[in-house]
Amino acid sequence: MSALSLRRVAWSASLVALPVVVGAQDSVVPNRGIDPLSRLNESTRYSIELLFDSAKVAGLPTWPLESKALEGITKRADGRRIVAAVRLVFRSLREARSALGPGATNDELTAAAGALSVGITTDELARLVKSRHEKQLTYPLVVLSDLITRGVPRDTASQTIFQLWQRGASDDDFQGLWRGVERDIVSGTDPGVALLNRAREIPSRGPPTAPPASGARPERSENPNP
Amino acid sequence: MLHSRRHATAAIATIAMLTTGEHAVAQSTSELETRLEAGATTSSHVGSIPLSAFALTPGFRYASPRMTASARASALLGLSQWQLGNSAAALEAYTPLLYGVRAEVAANASRLFHDQSVQNDQLDAEGRLHFMRQRAGIWLGSGVARPLRVAAVSNVNVSSGGVWTRVGAATLRGSVTSFFFTKIAFDDTLVDNSPAVCSTRLAAPTGASGPTGMRALVAEAAVGNACRHQSRLTDLEGTVRWEHKLGELTLRGGQRFGDRLDVNSDSRHWASAQAAVWITNQIAAVAGGGREPAQPTRGLPARSFGSVGLMLAYWPIPRGNVLVETPASLVHSFEVRAAGTALQRLTARIGGVETVEIMGDFTDWSPVPLIRRGRDAWELLVPMSPGVHQINIRIDGGQWIAPPGVPSLKDGFNGEVGVLVVNP
Repeated sequence: MSALSLRRVAWSASLVALPVVVGAQDSVVPNRGIDPLSRLNESTRYSIELLFDSAKVAGLPTWPLESKALEGITKRADGRRIVAAVRLVFRSLREARSALGPGATNDELTAAAGALSVGITTDELARLVKSRHEKQLTYPLVVLSDLITRGVPRDTASQTIFQLWQRGASDDDFQGLWRGVERDIVSGTDPGVALLNRAREIPSRGPPTAPPASGARPERSENPNP
Repeated sequence: MLHSRRHATAAIATIAMLTTGEHAVAQSTSELETRLEAGATTSSHVGSIPLSAFALTPGFRYASPRMTASARASALLGLSQWQLGNSAAALEAYTPLLYGVRAEVAANASRLFHDQSVQNDQLDAEGRLHFMRQRAGIWLGSGVARPLRVAAVSNVNVSSGGVWTRVGAATLRGSVTSFFFTKIAFDDTLVDNSPAVCSTRLAAPTGASGPTGMRALVAEAAVGNACRHQSRLTDLEGTVRWEHKLGELTLRGGQRFGDRLDVNSDSRHWASAQAAVWITNQIAAVAGGGREPAQPTRGLPARSFGSVGLMLAYWPIPRGNVLVETPASLVHSFEVRAAGTALQRLTARIGGVETVEIMGDFTDWSPVPLIRRGRDAWELLVPMSPGVHQINIRIDGGQWIAPPGVPSLKDGFNGEVGVLVVNP
């Protein structure tokens, strides 16, 4: 093979390889061509579809339920456990809707459902809603759920987050609080003590205020991956 | 002559027990464990009266991702007086994992006691390269052992290699250990009732060489039909260790290869078992027994042994309480940043691993590999709409975990999931 032929082969190979390399750098788009629930057995799938229907009737988003089912499939959970997990999401969303009211965004609903699943009550959610002043509840609820998951006593976590919320803490404040508490817990501090100590460091900012109009979050679409 | 013959026996297994196998499982947390065993022990070898004694065996083991230190010593009460029995102290140090490989060095000092006339001390050191994944590993090592007051004229060169894997609650290990050393043999040495033949006649000793106490032996041998014999033998050993909250079981078996001057028939195969059944959180009933091969460099014959007793265990650092290196802490950093419209750039710094994957609601929970961007840098662009998303990460095909640096929730499937809030 001559040097010219070799060069041609090399060029051809690089042209073939280029889209592959570029593709590897590209973003990941989920393939929704195949029905992902087809991997479930018939009875499990039937139970889950019933829950989807119930969610639609109740005016709840169905993608969190579908997402939980897919998560269970990938994590190789058995059918009964997947149905139980999806049912828990459905119940939590329904309770979250009744606690937050019809004006809640899908993000708030999802975050509130997470909080309910770790033991927060609908009364506590309603208390947060009363003092929301049009401000998004999503991040405080995500932090609240995480703190309880990490071992902060439920009442301590709920009370502290509520007080900070009333004092006008921002999303950045909650994020800073979470990072500090996480660091302290890893260092060996008792989770409840860590939260109380870190909460004292957050200055009072007055009652929560509504974010500027440009920062308002749009209602989330039904499908997270349009 | 009997003394000489005993000292001219070949090969050793204790080095393998001390330096391979037990260390192989990567330590995920710092742990200090202290144990005190009390009970009856008995052992016997050919040509001796079985020794039965009450044994008191304290021991400790401290393990962290960077080092392991352990010590254990037996006090035997036999003929109405206390006697120091088997004892060992070991220190191992590890480098951080780099591409799944870590270097290890180990140093041991040990004493073996069969009875008043058969006992021995040894120092040894070994270096290893260990390729580890979460559930399996393979290592290669080389080292040297220095037996004291026995018939090995030279140090013992030790080469070892092995594999380990975890299957459920059980850890399986297989190792091959090769020993090479020079010893003194005799033309009239009887091996399995047939005479062995020296290939190289022993010269009279010219200087002070060999371990302490050997010069007299060499001088004695020089006037007889003695030779320096180069011994090689190889041990193939398998271990199964099963741990349950109610008990621990260790099964060990092996096969020795080598010529008949080095390996007696009673040391060709061996097997033993040790069991502990936890009665409370800190007290366990322990029992064990089996056959140990001869340890030629140490002048110790094969023996059978059995023991039964109680063990008191205490963990001053509670197990699993001090997080040092878990899959999550392998992730030095994990960040999500906006990268254009509806795209997020996920970056992680994770050293010494082969693959990093993520999945979440934004990938329909399909695993997607991150792309390596450097020695420990990993990156991926993913479409993610503003709002709340759930995400998991896994390293080298291990468990799905919540990435560090983001809040997490129980996932309903015995695990956790990270929660990302993507701002518009």
